[in-house]
Amino acid sequence: MSIPIVPNLLRDHLSALAHSDERIDGRGQWEGRLLEVEHSILPRAEGSARVRMGDTIVLAGVKFQIMQPYPDRPNQGGLMCSAEVRPVAGRNWEAGPPSPESIELGRVVDRGIRESGCIDVDSLCIIPGEKAWQVILDLFAVSDDGNLFDAFALAGIVALRNATVPAERFEVGDDYPLGVSKSPIMCSYHKVGGRFVYDADSREELGGDERIHITLGDDDNVHSLQKGLKGIFTTDEFQEIMDNARKRTKEIREVMDSL
Amino acid sequence: MGGYGDVQMIDENGIRVDGRGPADIRPITIETGVVPVADGSCRMTWGTNEAIVAVYGPMEAHPRKIQRQDRAVLDVAYNMAPFSTTDRMRPGFNRRSREVSKVTKDALESVVMLELYPRSKIRINIEIVSAEAGTRCVGLTAASVALADAGIPMTEMVVSVASGKINDIVVCDLNKEEDNYGEADLPMGILPNTGELVFLQMDGDLSQDEFKQAWQYNMDASKEIHKIMVDALRGNSS
Amino acid sequence: MNGGPVARPDSMTKGKRATGSRNHGRASLLVIPGEDLGDSEGKEPGHGVISTGGRLKAVKRGMLRDGGGAISVEPTHTTYFPRPGDLVIGYIEGCTNNLWFVELGAPFNAILPMSLGPGKIDFGGTRSVMDIGDAIICRIQEVEETHSSVVTMKGMGLRKIRSGVVEEVDPHLLGRLIGKGGESLRRMKEDTACRIVVADNGRMWIDGELDGILEVRRKLNELSSIAKGGGN
Repeated sequence: MSIPIVPNLLRDHLSALAHSDERIDGRGQWEGRLLEVEHSILPRAEGSARVRMGDTIVLAGVKFQIMQPYPDRPNQGGLMCSAEVRPVAGRNWEAGPPSPESIELGRVVDRGIRESGCIDVDSLCIIPGEKAWQVILDLFAVSDDGNLFDAFALAGIVALRNATVPAERFEVGDDYPLGVSKSPIMCSYHKVGGRFVYDADSREELGGDERIHITLGDDDNVHSLQKGLKGIFTTDEFQEIMDNARKRTKEIREVMDSL
Repeated sequence: MGGYGDVQMIDENGIRVDGRGPADIRPITIETGVVPVADGSCRMTWGTNEAIVAVYGPMEAHPRKIQRQDRAVLDVAYNMAPFSTTDRMRPGFNRRSREVSKVTKDALESVVMLELYPRSKIRINIEIVSAEAGTRCVGLTAASVALADAGIPMTEMVVSVASGKINDIVVCDLNKEEDNYGEADLPMGILPNTGELVFLQMDGDLSQDEFKQAWQYNMDASKEIHKIMVDALRGNSS
Repeated sequence: MNGGPVARPDSMTKGKRATGSRNHGRASLLVIPGEDLGDSEGKEPGHGVISTGGRLKAVKRGMLRDGGGAISVEPTHTTYFPRPGDLVIGYIEGCTNNLWFVELGAPFNAILPMSLGPGKIDFGGTRSVMDIGDAIICRIQEVEETHSSVVTMKGMGLRKIRSGVVEEVDPHLLGRLIGKGGESLRRMKEDTACRIVVADNGRMWIDGELDGILEVRRKLNELSSIAKGGGN
C-alpha cells in the first residue's frame, strides 16, 4: 500500500474538531456510519455477505474443501480466514503479493472468529483421521473509505452464519447448515486529534494516529485485541473504549440477529 | 470445452435448458458508481456472473519503465475472487487471468483516446465476484461502462459477447451447463455503432456456416446489450 | 478512421466555468461515448467531442452543450489537468535543496523552484520555509506538452496556508458552486462568515471559526450528493 502525504492542515483541523467534540463528517465520537448488511448474495459461495459502512464496502464468501485432519487432532476440521485488499478498493492499494496491511487485516479478523469458538471444529470431522471439512472464509474489499477491519469482521461472521456445508457436491451426505454458535463482533477505535473515536473514515485514518481493535463475544468476553500503527495510549483511554465496545457490539449483534 | 456425450441441451423446438431460444442472451443488469472511492465504477450481472470494475486515473505511470512519452497506458487487471467459482479459486498468479487482462487491455486501448494523456496510466481493475460462463465478456463490457463513468474519453464503447455450439446447434451466450458441454466458443468485442471489432477469440470446432451464424448472433446481441449500457449510463448522472 | 480525431485539451474552457451552470431554459441531453451528434458541417468540436468522417461524435459522458458554433460535452467526472494561469491549491510532497515538489490532485506533481518560492530563501533552506505536508496557494506558471508543470508563488494572494481547511470538490462541480456571477459563493461566504478561496484544481481553502467551516462542509456535501443523486 502506498502511503499518501498527510496534510498538516488536516491534522491541525482534526485536533481542533476533537477539542470541540466534533468530527470531520459531523458524527459524534462514538457514532458509526450508516450500516447496511446483506447475506447470501454470491451465487457461487456456500455462504456470503456484503457489508457497507458509509463508503466502505466489503464482501465475504465461504467455501469448503475436504482436508486430511492434522495428526495431532484427528477429529477436527479447520477454519482458514484470508483477507485480500486488491487495487479495485482504492487508489493507494497496489497489485502484487498481499501487503503487510492486508495480512494484518486477515489475521486480526481470523483471531476474533477462531478464538470465540463460534465454529465447533469437532463437528467438521467426516471420517476421523481421514476426512474433515476445511472452512475457508475469504474477505474481499470493494471500496476502502476507512475501517476495513470492522466491515471485514462483520461480513465474515454473517457469511459463516448463513453458510451451508456442501456435502452433496462432495458426495459425503446431505447438505446441512454450518453450525455457528457464537457471534464475535469487532469494534475499532482510532486516535484522531488526540482522542479515540469509533469507526474512523479514510480522512480520519489519514490524519490520525494509532488504532485499537477489540473483538467481544456474546457474553462480553474478549476474544482478540490488536493495537496498530504508531502511537501511545493509556490504561484509562483503553478502559473508555472497552466500555464503549461493550455497548457497540451489542447494537451490531442486534442488527445481525434481525437479518 | 467439455466432452460431447449424449446430454441433450436443446429440445426439438430449439428451447435451451434455461428456456431461452438460440439467439437469446441471459438477463443483464448494469449499475454505475458502485465503488464510491473510485473515479468510475460499474457492477454488471449477466446470468449469475457478477463483475465489479473500478477505474482510477489518469495518474502518473509507475513503474517508470511502463511510461510512454506519447500516450497513456492502460493497466488492466482481471481477477477472479476466491469465492467466485464452485471450487475455491486460489488467490495469486494465474496464467488465464494474465491472458484475459492482456486481451482486455488490447481491446480497450483501441478505443480510449490515449494520446491525450502522455506518460500517464489509467488503472482498470476487473473483479469477477461470481463466475458462470463468459466472464471475460462481462469484464470487458463492464470495463467500458466504468471508463465512461470515470469520464475517460473513448471513441466508442465496447460490447463483448460470445456465441458457441452445443449439440451441433449454434447458440448465443452459453450459460454454465451449456459451456460444460459446449463444442465451440466465439467471444467478440464489438463497437456497436459501427460493427467494428476490437477483440476476438475462438476455440472449438465450427463449420464455415456455423461460424457465420455465431458471428451474426454476436452482432445482434451487441446492439441489445449496448442499449442496457446506455440506459445505465444515462440513469446515473445529473 | 479518416483524417484522425480532433480533440481539445482535456480540461474545461475558461468561459464556461465563470458563468457556472448554463442549463437554463432548455432541456439538456446526457450523451455517452461513441454517440453520434450529427453533421459536423458548420460546427466546431468542443471539449469531449471529435469530428470524424463528417460527423460529430461524443467521446465522454456528460451534458451536451451547444453554444458559439461549438458542440461540447460537460463531463460528469473530471480529473484535473493544469493549464497556465490556473490558481491551484497544492501540498508539498517533497523537496530538494533548491525546489519543492507540489501535489495538485493531478496525475503529475508540479515543480516549485526556489526562485519562484515565497520571499527570499537560502540554498538548502527549502524545508525550513515550507515542509512536507504543508498546503500552498500557487499559480501554474507553465505546462509542458507532456503534462509536466511549474508553479509559482510570486503574485497577489499566493502563499502558504497556515490555518483553516482544504476541501476537495470534483472540478466539474465548481461552476455550480460558484454560481452565476459568483452569487452562490458570495452567499456561502456571507452565511458562514468564512473566507473561501476556490482553486481551479477542485480544492477550496476555507478559513474562519470552526462552526463556519463545518457549515461550509455541510453545504459542500449537499452539493456533491445532489450531483450524485441525479438532480440538476
